Amino acid sequence: MTKYVIGATGALLGALAGVWLMLAPFALAYQGSGADWADPTYVDFWTGLPLLVVSLVGSILYISGLVEELRRRGIVRRPYAAPAEQPQAQGSPQANASNQDNMEQVLLPLVTAMLKDMQERDRERDGARQQSTDDVQQPQHTGEEGSVRR
Amino acid sequence: MAPQARIGLIVTVIGFFAGVWLFLAPFIVEYQKVGQDWIDATKNDLWTGGALIAISVLTLILFGAFALRDAASAAEQRRTSEEAEN
Repeated sequence: MTKYVIGATGALLGALAGVWLMLAPFALAYQGSGADWADPTYVDFWTGLPLLVVSLVGSILYISGLVEELRRRGIVRRPYAAPAEQPQAQGSPQANASNQDNMEQVLLPLVTAMLKDMQERDRERDGARQQSTDDVQQPQHTGEEGSVRR
Repeated sequence: MAPQARIGLIVTVIGFFAGVWLFLAPFIVEYQKVGQDWIDATKNDLWTGGALIAISVLTLILFGAFALRDAASAAEQRRTSEEAEN
């Protein structure tokens, strides 16, 4: 990203140099106003004008490269592109299928944990029931041992 | 590198050659005689041409350095993401 800023700065400085070259013959007064242009004036003016144009084009290109880079990194949004595409993508069958897959992936661990929990509760309940039947059966045996059968 | 940046680099190179032209123009066009005192136009052209050459060379060097840095960091990121995938 920095490279584009450097390029644009260099190109803008080049454009300023072009402007200066066009004005210098009159600013430094080696070209009298109204007189025919001398050789230095021709050289400076016809070097400055193309330099100005080319440097302006260059700075525009560097700046457009910078904007593209900023868009690619998500710092700057494209003005009209994204919002129109999103609703179509959500309504399409492929998007629905992928949404279902995602939902299943989210719910699967939850359902597995619930099933495990239920199984553990069932096991605990069975264990408690078994123990209570044993407790009930044990005094009967002791009663039988101490009693006299007739 | 974006195509705009490539054309921008060409523009910078054109600026460099414009600077070289300005530096030599007083002697090529012969409005400055060799061995005589420099006239105002010659001084202006030499200073402006020198500045243009310096600006263009600096721009090219810094642009190249930062482009290399970006390329190196992109390659590093690609390598780490490939390692994470494997």
